[in-house]
Amino acid sequence: MSMEPVIGERRVHFVVSEELYPLDVIQGASYLFIDRCYVWLDRPADKQVQVVLRSKGQAGAEELEALAGEFANELLNQALRKNIGDTNAKIREFVMARAFFAADMPSTVDRLLAELDAEEMAVDPLEISVPWDHKAGGRPPAGSTDG
Amino acid sequence: MKGLLTTPLRVDPTAFAGDKVAFFRYGAVGERVLISNDTGEWAMLSPQQFDAFYQGKLEEADPLTVELGEKGFLRASLDLESMSAKIRRKKAFLRSGGPHLHVVVATLRCNQACRYCHASRTDMDRVDTDMTLDTAKAVVDFAFQSPSSILNFEFQGGEPTANFEVIRFFIGYAKEKNRYENKELIFSMVTNMTLMTEEKMNFLLDEGVMLCTSLDGPKDLHDYNRGLTGSKVGTYDQVDHWVNRINAEYVRRGMDPNLYHVDALMTTTRASLGRGREIVDEYVRRGCRSIHLRPLNPFGFAVNTWKQIGYTMEEFLNFYRDAADYILELNLQGVQIQERMASIFLTRLLTPDDPNYTDCRSPVGSGTATLAYSFDGSIYTCDEGRMLGHMGNDFFKLGDVRGSAWKDVAHHPTVKAVALASINDALPACSNCVYKPSCGIQPLHNFMFDGDLFGQRPRSRKCQEFFGEQSWIFQRLAADTDGRIERIFRRWTIQRPRTTSSSSEGSA
Repeated sequence: MSMEPVIGERRVHFVVSEELYPLDVIQGASYLFIDRCYVWLDRPADKQVQVVLRSKGQAGAEELEALAGEFANELLNQALRKNIGDTNAKIREFVMARAFFAADMPSTVDRLLAELDAEEMAVDPLEISVPWDHKAGGRPPAGSTDG
Repeated sequence: MKGLLTTPLRVDPTAFAGDKVAFFRYGAVGERVLISNDTGEWAMLSPQQFDAFYQGKLEEADPLTVELGEKGFLRASLDLESMSAKIRRKKAFLRSGGPHLHVVVATLRCNQACRYCHASRTDMDRVDTDMTLDTAKAVVDFAFQSPSSILNFEFQGGEPTANFEVIRFFIGYAKEKNRYENKELIFSMVTNMTLMTEEKMNFLLDEGVMLCTSLDGPKDLHDYNRGLTGSKVGTYDQVDHWVNRINAEYVRRGMDPNLYHVDALMTTTRASLGRGREIVDEYVRRGCRSIHLRPLNPFGFAVNTWKQIGYTMEEFLNFYRDAADYILELNLQGVQIQERMASIFLTRLLTPDDPNYTDCRSPVGSGTATLAYSFDGSIYTCDEGRMLGHMGNDFFKLGDVRGSAWKDVAHHPTVKAVALASINDALPACSNCVYKPSCGIQPLHNFMFDGDLFGQRPRSRKCQEFFGEQSWIFQRLAADTDGRIERIFRRWTIQRPRTTSSSSEGSA
């Protein structure tokens, strides 16, 4: 079987190889067409998915062929999106976990400022160079949280 | 047969450089390619730049490499701690404690019969749909259990001034109770102005109640949409009189008219289409700095009158773009007015913060940031849920102010379901949408149209609306060769806070 579209009355069907496109990519592309078409997915053979797009309104052969072409392009986009997601999944999980579930931590900048302040304090026992806004209570003391 | 959410870009997934490129979403904006990421950063690229980017072929010395690196699009320069901090700040509303917006329906009675009435009103003789003093007291007692340090009571109806005794009691009791609770109290009221009197006005202004009315545009349009019950007489003249009167009273009291004035809301009906510029002019003429170009909601009487006053989302978006372009033209001429929905998206796009607009958020604020109380003390996730309740569907009802414990309402399964159904990181199509970081979900709309909270994005009117409005923003930014549009958009993100004290800010 090939991916060449077969056009019928208000419908077009074609077969997608799962060796080229994973099922969730095919499903992801299908989902984006449900406003314009009724979408049927079937498995005519192992590792093959048949896609049937039935137009919700009148559609000529040219429109149906364009629809199949658009679906094919969307498969490529969905495949790229899946690659982007899979490759970065662990990093994103880490970042999200840190954002929502880790105890509030001072940002890198806050931490560097705190280190600089600590160094200043170490050589300045009289606290003459304590920044004015610390004295005024304007900035949180080093090491405080932002939460 | 053009698809809204399909991607009109030619890409080669096999060329993706996963070792060089961090997570991003993408979509086409005219001839440009927009990319965005989880922290809300975004960039607009030419198709050639986009290809070079995702294929890992950007030159190190290319200024675009520096920009994309700083924004977290390139693996070599990822600062995970900074990314976490940005996300935490964007989602700071999740840590705000609990519902802060409490919508109170003082009565269902209303003397108007608007063509699109969202509130499912009753006639003026139906005093059985008035909130009683006992219920009002129970609402205050219940709302004060919210852990939020801010309580914003918004009086709605029906027409809330039809049951003014309860408004007086409610505000007095809430202020008295707050002597021991020390929360920040805010009062606001949405009124049609037709039952306003000097005495009511003075009470509301004395108590610091912010006022908002409905103004659909020029007189003929407003009167067509908003007539009095039992007659074809419109209400424009009364709205006009009281808006002018109250604004003058603010000035007389020495309050900055830029901050203290009657706000107005418009609703778009079929009669509004093609008249966006006139509607904007009506708002500008009144000194309004903001206009929210709102589409019809499928609630209340609008369900029955849809064939007469409804329209397709494409028709609405044509209306929106025309009016919003006119607003930009006015801004370029020095007139200060913003489109409200655009300003919400822009705050997310151009600042590190989220404006916490509860109706368009991920997750939505229904039940977690807002609660609505019907006249009988029933508690709903939001005002729209309450409206649906009046239509006979109590799906969004959480309890009753007299019989429900706070924790049972806060932890109600419906609150959890609504939150889950509106986390756009996890919804099909949303999770990959380039507008995901600045967008939001309204499960109640899905429920109305599709019969389930999750809905289907490509068929969702709200998705079409938000997608179309954000596309307008980026289309204008893409064509912004001299930075003038971005400067205007940045101004739209600035909100000067009101205080409840009167004249300290003077007229700047």
